[in-house]
Amino acid sequence: MSSSDQPYIDPSEIPLEEAIAQRFKSPSDAFWTGMRDAAGAPAMVLFAGMVGFGAMGKTNGFDVWFTTFTSFFMFALPGQVVLFEMAITGSSVLAIALAVTLTSTRFITMTVTLFPQFHHKDRNRSLYASVHLLAMTAWAISMREFHAIETKHRLGYFVGLGLLCWLISIPGTILGFYLAGMVPPAVTLGLVFINPLFFLLTFTEVKPWINRIAICLGCIFGPIFFIVDRDTSLLSAGLVAGTLAYFIDRKFLRKKAGLIG
Amino acid sequence: MDTMTNALSGWGLWIALLGACIGTYFCRAIGVFLSNSINQDSEIFRWLAAVTYAMVAALTVRLIVMPLGLMATVPLWIRILICALSIGVMISKPTRRLVPALLTGTLLMVSYGVMR
Repeated sequence: MSSSDQPYIDPSEIPLEEAIAQRFKSPSDAFWTGMRDAAGAPAMVLFAGMVGFGAMGKTNGFDVWFTTFTSFFMFALPGQVVLFEMAITGSSVLAIALAVTLTSTRFITMTVTLFPQFHHKDRNRSLYASVHLLAMTAWAISMREFHAIETKHRLGYFVGLGLLCWLISIPGTILGFYLAGMVPPAVTLGLVFINPLFFLLTFTEVKPWINRIAICLGCIFGPIFFIVDRDTSLLSAGLVAGTLAYFIDRKFLRKKAGLIG
Repeated sequence: MDTMTNALSGWGLWIALLGACIGTYFCRAIGVFLSNSINQDSEIFRWLAAVTYAMVAALTVRLIVMPLGLMATVPLWIRILICALSIGVMISKPTRRLVPALLTGTLLMVSYGVMR
């Protein structure tokens, strides 16, 4: 796919772009399609995850405002769970903030991989607001769909997708908070399991070999680094496994060795 | 309960939440800042995509293999068996089978919880 800020060097690219353009008529069309794409399984999964989180807040003695604010302002389930666990065990405020920030470092790489795919006109300061809508769910769907969406409609699609995910997490958390204690433990077990299972299933849709290798290595290094040092394990496992996958791809898999983009 | 006496409470709790929110948003904002200077076709893009996938994979495998709390009460082989069956449903057809696969895994986990 041609980069958005490059002129068409090859005229054969122009009809291709037009074919893609037919997918959406207007930015609002892209926005509502994004919402519709999120409204199926992804929103259901996220909603279930937030219900589980709300239930966790209730069973651990937090009030409904604190639990809901966490979903609203953080909107990052792993970080939210870390915050709760550390608050329960009485960690210091500084340690909590640092640990949560470390679990959120994945957003740096997610943003850096996703946002350059927006049209250059959309890449202004307003992205600092839209970036709050970025989470695992919206990222995974966007990475999968963006290649088939014209660059100028990608932001609208992403905002529709992310906004629905964010808005649905609030009632999910509140529902979970008040449901806790009412549902049997077996149901709670299913709710807790739905998040990791969803992540696992999305991996089967990853196509490039470099990323497949990265996933396999991440699965191996993740537990090892977790035993060595829990707080930084995600960051260190990601860096080591990702870098290794990159070099395996570069040395052995790429046909044009030494190609520098 | 001992845990309750140690737990953060009152303002400390809210300050911890504030710190967590700032830290989380900081990571998102830094990503936006860096994304302006990185071309998606560049080598660093390929490397960062690999690092992100590896990080998410590490998180996922940790949640399944080394969970905390309620999920830890389920034997490891049951967790892995349910994951394998769900992946089987997922890849049994090349087109989207995410919802059937997710339902398979979730319902199997609930069934285990009912039966134990």
